[in-house]
Amino acid sequence: MGSSTVHELDQDFINSFRSPATAGNRIRDLNPISFAIIMLSCSVTAIALPGPAGPAAICLLFAVLSVAAGLAKTFLPLYGKLFAVVGLILFVLRAAFLPGNHILWTVGPISISAEGIIQGLNFSLVVMAVCGAVTFFFAVTPMKNLMLALEQRGVTPRATYIILASFQAITDLGKNTKVVMDAQKSRGIETEGGMVRRTTAFLPILAPVFLAAMSQTEERALALDARAFNSRNRHSHLVSLRPVSSAEIIVVCAVALGAVLSIVGAVFIWN
Amino acid sequence: MKHKKGFSALMRSYGRLTIFMIPIGIATNFIGGQIAILLKLPMYLDSIGTILVGALCGGLPGALVGTISNLINSITSPTLAPYATLSILFGFLAGWLSKHGVFKSLWKTLLASIPFALIGSILGGLITIWVFGGLGGSGGALIVGALVAAGMDLNAAVFTAAIPMDFLDKIPTVLVVFLILKRIPTRLFVKLPLGYVYLNKAKTTSTTSAVNPVDDEDDELALG
Repeated sequence: MGSSTVHELDQDFINSFRSPATAGNRIRDLNPISFAIIMLSCSVTAIALPGPAGPAAICLLFAVLSVAAGLAKTFLPLYGKLFAVVGLILFVLRAAFLPGNHILWTVGPISISAEGIIQGLNFSLVVMAVCGAVTFFFAVTPMKNLMLALEQRGVTPRATYIILASFQAITDLGKNTKVVMDAQKSRGIETEGGMVRRTTAFLPILAPVFLAAMSQTEERALALDARAFNSRNRHSHLVSLRPVSSAEIIVVCAVALGAVLSIVGAVFIWN
Repeated sequence: MKHKKGFSALMRSYGRLTIFMIPIGIATNFIGGQIAILLKLPMYLDSIGTILVGALCGGLPGALVGTISNLINSITSPTLAPYATLSILFGFLAGWLSKHGVFKSLWKTLLASIPFALIGSILGGLITIWVFGGLGGSGGALIVGALVAAGMDLNAAVFTAAIPMDFLDKIPTVLVVFLILKRIPTRLFVKLPLGYVYLNKAKTTSTTSAVNPVDDEDDELALG
């Protein structure tokens, strides 16, 4: 009995790799390359559309899409933070320092002009729309799916390995850093106090983490060799991506067309 | 397919361990920045990995480390993406300096902080002016704002804020790079493209073992 349930579980697990990977959501199941083109078109549209309203609408669109993709919980706080920090700094500094004729009010050396406010609003919203496209893309697309899609397009596995290994290394070395920091503290290295003292604590934490990682490179070379990473034949993959549907191609073309039209509009109509 | 062959051949010409050093360099950039925050240091210290890989593997791998680190940072704060140019130059500069043995002596290393800091502040300032009109989206922009409020010209304020900040950052950075390079064991230097510099050997003797492309592709990651 026991062994048969284990066997069934194994079958489920194996079967999960027989069909293409799915996140159970239409937006998240888009091919990474198609989604990249859509997001690029959105940022181009945001740059080309006039006034504060155009880019603001694109920013709002990302928020709506994130809800539709079921990612509101992860994306909205991140995007809100970008708005609150980067967007606000970009806007406030422009509103305060850009010269203009219609001075609204003056505080000491700072004079706030109507032109400064409009320009600040335009610029910060365009930057925020482009930022939104980038952050939303990576909130939706898992890095391994993106790399798989790139590999299918002919990018060498060496390049995709470097990217994926980098993310793994950031997590691994981050964990090691905490361990080394605690170890060095317990050996009596001061991590608090004056600036000079804190600066001298930097090297004893970073150096062991770097040197340990470096000496593991040989093992990694062997591990990849054991998995035939250097074989000239086409690499096989455990996970496969869904084939691109014709509806997806139509959506991508429509969004790209929108971007082209907005550029035409920017050149001939509203500028 | 042509591109594929080009990248593989390029990576191979940089020796066998370079492909594994790049992710470590990237992670080092990140944890360097994190340790600086944990220790509440008023500097970034986030280009140590770029300079280390540049010094050990050559300019191009160093530039790759800088670019990818910057792009990964851009995922959560996309306004940093234009500054990838700086990281690329840091990588190439580190490779060039390393080839000329600069990181072998302490005083030369300390002098090397000058070009790094000048690139960081002057080119960084120019990017801030070109892309963001002088008023960027980081904490440094607040200092620029304060200087402008005190009556300084906007462009002058950008550089006045950046130059001391960058020297404060790059002097400890190159110092840490120098001290880490001192601690790398000989057996690892032997396998790295620029390791011959630190082993005080002529380039010709080590190119055959470390840099020369291996024709048999199945053997290129073998340890030798």
